[in-house]
Amino acid sequence: MPHPALHGIDPARFEVVKNALLSAAEEMKIVLAKTAYSPLLKVAGDYSCGIFNARGEMVAQGPDLPIHLGSMPDAVGSVARAFPDVAPGDVFIHNDPYRGGSHLPDVNVVMPAFHEGRLLGFGCVRAHWPDIGSATPGSYGAVTEIYGEGLRLPPVRLYRNGEPDPSVEAIILANVRTPAERLGDIRAQVAANRRAVERMLGLARKYGTDELLRIMDAVLDYSEAMLRQALAALPDGDAGFADIIDGDGVIEQGDTDDRTFRLQLALRKRGDTITADFAGSDPAVPGPMNAPLSVTASGVYAALKMILDPDSLIPPNSGCWRPVTVTAPPGSVVNAQEPSPVVYANHEMSHRVSEMVFAAMHAITPDRVLAGSQGTSGITTFGGLDYRTGQRFVSYESTKGGFGARPVKDGINAVSAVISNMLNTPVEVLEMSAPLRVEEYALVPDSGGAGTWRGGLGVRRSWRVLGHELRGAMCFERAVTPPFGQAGGLPGSNARLWIDLPDGTRRPLPGKGAFTTPPGSVVTVEAPGSGGFGPPAGRDPQALRDDLADGYVTPDAAARDYGMR
Amino acid sequence: MAWRIGVDIGGTFTDVAMVEEATGRIAVAKVLTTPPDFGQGVLDGLRQGLAEQGIDAAAVTLLSHATTVVTNALLEHKGATAAFVSTRGFRDVLELRRSARADLYDLFQDGPSVLIPRRRRFEITERIDAQGQVVTPMAEDEVPALVDAIRASGAETVGVSLLFSFLNDAHERRLGDRLRSALPGVQVFLSSEVLPEIREYERASTTAVCAYVGPLLEGYLARLQAATGTLGLPPLHVMGSGGGVLDVAECLRMPAAIVESGPAAGVVAAALVGEQLGLPNILSFDMGGTTAKASVIADGEVTVTAEYEVGGGVNGKRFIAGTGHPIRVPVVDLAEVSAGGGSIAWVDPGGALKVGPHSAGAMPGPAAYGRGGTKPTVTDANILLGYLDSGALLDGRLRIDRAAAERAVAGHVAGPLGLSVTEAAARIIEVVNANMCDALRIVSIERGHDPREFSLMAFGGAGPVHAAFLAEELQVPEVVVPPAPGAFSALGLVATDLRRDFSRTLYAALDSVDPARVADAVAAMEAEGLAMLRAAGVPEARWALLRQADCRYGRQAYELTVPMQDGPVTAETLRALSGAFHAKHAQTYGHANEKEPVQMVNLRLTVLGRQPRLALAQASRPGAAREGERTAWFGGRPHPTRILWRDGLPPGAAIAGPAVIEALDSTTVVPPGWTAGVAEHGMLRLARGA
Repeated sequence: MPHPALHGIDPARFEVVKNALLSAAEEMKIVLAKTAYSPLLKVAGDYSCGIFNARGEMVAQGPDLPIHLGSMPDAVGSVARAFPDVAPGDVFIHNDPYRGGSHLPDVNVVMPAFHEGRLLGFGCVRAHWPDIGSATPGSYGAVTEIYGEGLRLPPVRLYRNGEPDPSVEAIILANVRTPAERLGDIRAQVAANRRAVERMLGLARKYGTDELLRIMDAVLDYSEAMLRQALAALPDGDAGFADIIDGDGVIEQGDTDDRTFRLQLALRKRGDTITADFAGSDPAVPGPMNAPLSVTASGVYAALKMILDPDSLIPPNSGCWRPVTVTAPPGSVVNAQEPSPVVYANHEMSHRVSEMVFAAMHAITPDRVLAGSQGTSGITTFGGLDYRTGQRFVSYESTKGGFGARPVKDGINAVSAVISNMLNTPVEVLEMSAPLRVEEYALVPDSGGAGTWRGGLGVRRSWRVLGHELRGAMCFERAVTPPFGQAGGLPGSNARLWIDLPDGTRRPLPGKGAFTTPPGSVVTVEAPGSGGFGPPAGRDPQALRDDLADGYVTPDAAARDYGMR
Repeated sequence: MAWRIGVDIGGTFTDVAMVEEATGRIAVAKVLTTPPDFGQGVLDGLRQGLAEQGIDAAAVTLLSHATTVVTNALLEHKGATAAFVSTRGFRDVLELRRSARADLYDLFQDGPSVLIPRRRRFEITERIDAQGQVVTPMAEDEVPALVDAIRASGAETVGVSLLFSFLNDAHERRLGDRLRSALPGVQVFLSSEVLPEIREYERASTTAVCAYVGPLLEGYLARLQAATGTLGLPPLHVMGSGGGVLDVAECLRMPAAIVESGPAAGVVAAALVGEQLGLPNILSFDMGGTTAKASVIADGEVTVTAEYEVGGGVNGKRFIAGTGHPIRVPVVDLAEVSAGGGSIAWVDPGGALKVGPHSAGAMPGPAAYGRGGTKPTVTDANILLGYLDSGALLDGRLRIDRAAAERAVAGHVAGPLGLSVTEAAARIIEVVNANMCDALRIVSIERGHDPREFSLMAFGGAGPVHAAFLAEELQVPEVVVPPAPGAFSALGLVATDLRRDFSRTLYAALDSVDPARVADAVAAMEAEGLAMLRAAGVPEARWALLRQADCRYGRQAYELTVPMQDGPVTAETLRALSGAFHAKHAQTYGHANEKEPVQMVNLRLTVLGRQPRLALAQASRPGAAREGERTAWFGGRPHPTRILWRDGLPPGAAIAGPAVIEALDSTTVVPPGWTAGVAEHGMLRLARGA
């Protein structure tokens, strides 16, 4: 018999329409990449695209960032609630983390689709702008209130009758660095949404509005049913994990270093449901490491999706997460309340939350978890004047570390982990658009944790600052506590950050916050490696010899960690 | 009588297509492919074809070949022991890639293995900056130690890719000279010769692919050339991925240029038939046993792309890079889906019906072939619906076990979904057709083309079975089934021009650049192109040079390729180029910003040695006329359906659907409401209505 989740819809038609919605989300992504102006969007892929129903539930997400799984529906839902008078030709813009946004640089552009007077749903493009104002180019300063983090937009109508509202655009462009680039990005986000709307209209014309809406609902039920099946197939159990976070970038009075803080997770898996509770986690911190609950939930969802659906059979949408409950005490660092600052937490906290889920799930399903990955997005920004053109610039890059070792495989070197999937910025493209010269971009030997299966290696990247003095900022984690090993594997290496000044002195840089770079100085980051899986003594000797021949492991480390002599 | 011959080596058969230049008469010889020495099959096929048609080897004017040797070497990791040299600090450029993973949620995925392992990746001190200026001169004194290290590594071949060599190739050329003289017998590929374009990873990857497959390709072509030479045939040419043939020397200079040799040939053939029929807009649709490939021909031009990965998973549907090795050379723009006659149908845990990506392949094949297959395939569904003969295929040479097809569909699809076997078969066809529509949509709608303005050209063994259904779905008004659809790619090999594509990065704002700068770059490429044509002995009357430029708005990162006027390059040429870019941007993305200056990024030059045009023709053989009837299912109902044998159809005949037109190498389905017309030269043209 056909599955009840399909509600009697023809299985072939269901498959066709479901795929058409996914293709539409993919097409949005292509349109955005090809028309956007900022390198973050056009070459680094820091954005997500989705199709949503009229209630704001996500029906289809493109093959983009898992980090946005949890919070995009809240963002579209906020628009739907704020504008009961939504009309054809409207476009909305919105980046408020306390209304389903993630952090201020992630700007949502939302467009409704109407057919024969009925609202079918929405397209939404969430794109990371390289700058959203504030005191620091790139908007990654360590401030203590969201008011200092840049321009905050609750859901606002940006277009009416298909035409931009010049007043709203003027406010936005007056508050961001490199406004011409931002305007190009807005146009690209609208163009991508337009493609989504065209595709939804095409489906409504072909199958009728009622049938399309019925299928859009069934897609959610289908994902829910599949996720419940996957959960039911795992043994029941309770598991927990605690982890220490490096800090929030704000050095409090009387301290000399950034203060670490603690996260606590308890998982409870029963039948076809699972609960993730963060009771016992520390209260909100002064600096921008506070995660709204939807950001915390994104980290949980991304890890569970990898554990439960490694073959990607379950379309990621709002239905998936009905069997999953995420709770955290209000006012804790994983359930931030206004006006706590949030900019780092979006990727740093969701990275760490997802790794905690893997660590805890080892007790329930040891064959389907990773050792600790890089645990950070490794952000470095620069901004200032380009001596070649006299124009302002902002650059924003993410340096990758290791992807955790697996129960039957080594980790992966230098690749985005779990919640993230950004691309690097090509050195030649970067140097064309910013007064920087990359002097090294290479793997860091011995950065992968030793184990039966070795952790993935982290990456070193160095930038020489050319021309004028620039302002830089970092957002790194795992400089204090290393990525954990699993099942007897050793931890991966920590992040290390420093600056070599023109006078020959070297100074360490803090993991979070802004700094000044005189011309001629060289800023270097080493992104963390990842943890190993299983005891090092279990490693295949030939694999270790290959690691030595390729320089992934040095002879000293082979002697120390593997007892090779 | 002059003849041209094309040889296409497939997984099971080697097809030899022969076309008589004056009349366009087609003859085909099919022999078994003979791995690992493919040359044997080629020689068998050529001997058989020449003998059957009574062709004198001296009368052959073109011998053209499509090969998968490069692609297979990459897929099977059987390339050369290669070394790589980078700018100091960038040894890992091939391994760091673009740092994204190809699959978001697969815990156990790995990236493609790096073609050149870290132990054979070396560095040299040097640096050129983003303005093309030397910041650090190349350390000549490091070269002897580098040479020793390469020698000690056992490398048979070396790829060199230094930063910003696309702006200033002095260091690469100097290093190349020194390596070539110090390492005789070792092939050296320079990124500035292979691909002088921005983006260090993609350029290095293209260079590494060349180094990795170079020696293998050299050996293969040398053996094949020697073998065909013994038959007295002319020098061998190889189909390039961009839709033109290259001579052997060009191939060895740029091995990455022939990765999609076979599929490109099919698209070229479709373009030729389109031209012959006066149809400038063609959706080319090639469906075989495991995959279906779609491509678009707009205004008579084959569409090529420069964004391509080789050796990865199915690439057409995936935008996130990372499953293969990028090569930045022109490749015919194909969208490929895992949908073929052998694709397996299954019901997923959520109760949705899926077809593919797994295929029963040639062995065991569809359940109905009786070779041990038990899973239901697309072919099985086609048999149950009456589209394919349930008694035998291949003109009686392949017996069909209908009961086995029924069992497979009943057990794996009909039962779980609570459907009858026929309903289940119809659903399987619906799903696979939808998957193939996706591929056709990618190359048409996503590229800004309206399918209603196109004809669908269907070939490959299974293409003509499904074509009318796809046309119905996409509102394509007409389907064309060309002669010899089962050996169509081999026909494409003889229909193509000698071709080489040049490119050069030249960053310039079109409204302010000195036209002389552009003119100089164009002239330099044209001089190189003309030298290639002279060396290949192409008479001047058949030379053609096509200029294009990759342009974008200044702050975008992706370019659109637009044609550039011939003649002297002036400010007017550049203004026209801007206009063409705005128009194409609006067509592709729905908006253009005409006030904004346009930036040129790359100049491209396609150099063609034109072949005299062919007109393909297959004569009708009235003696072969056969006709029968069986039940076929359309729209959920059984229809008595005429069965006709294609070879016997007279020109001018019109066959109203439902009908099935059978031939040795392919079956064409004409659904109710469609009519098949037999056009001149043995073309079938299907359209809705009478």
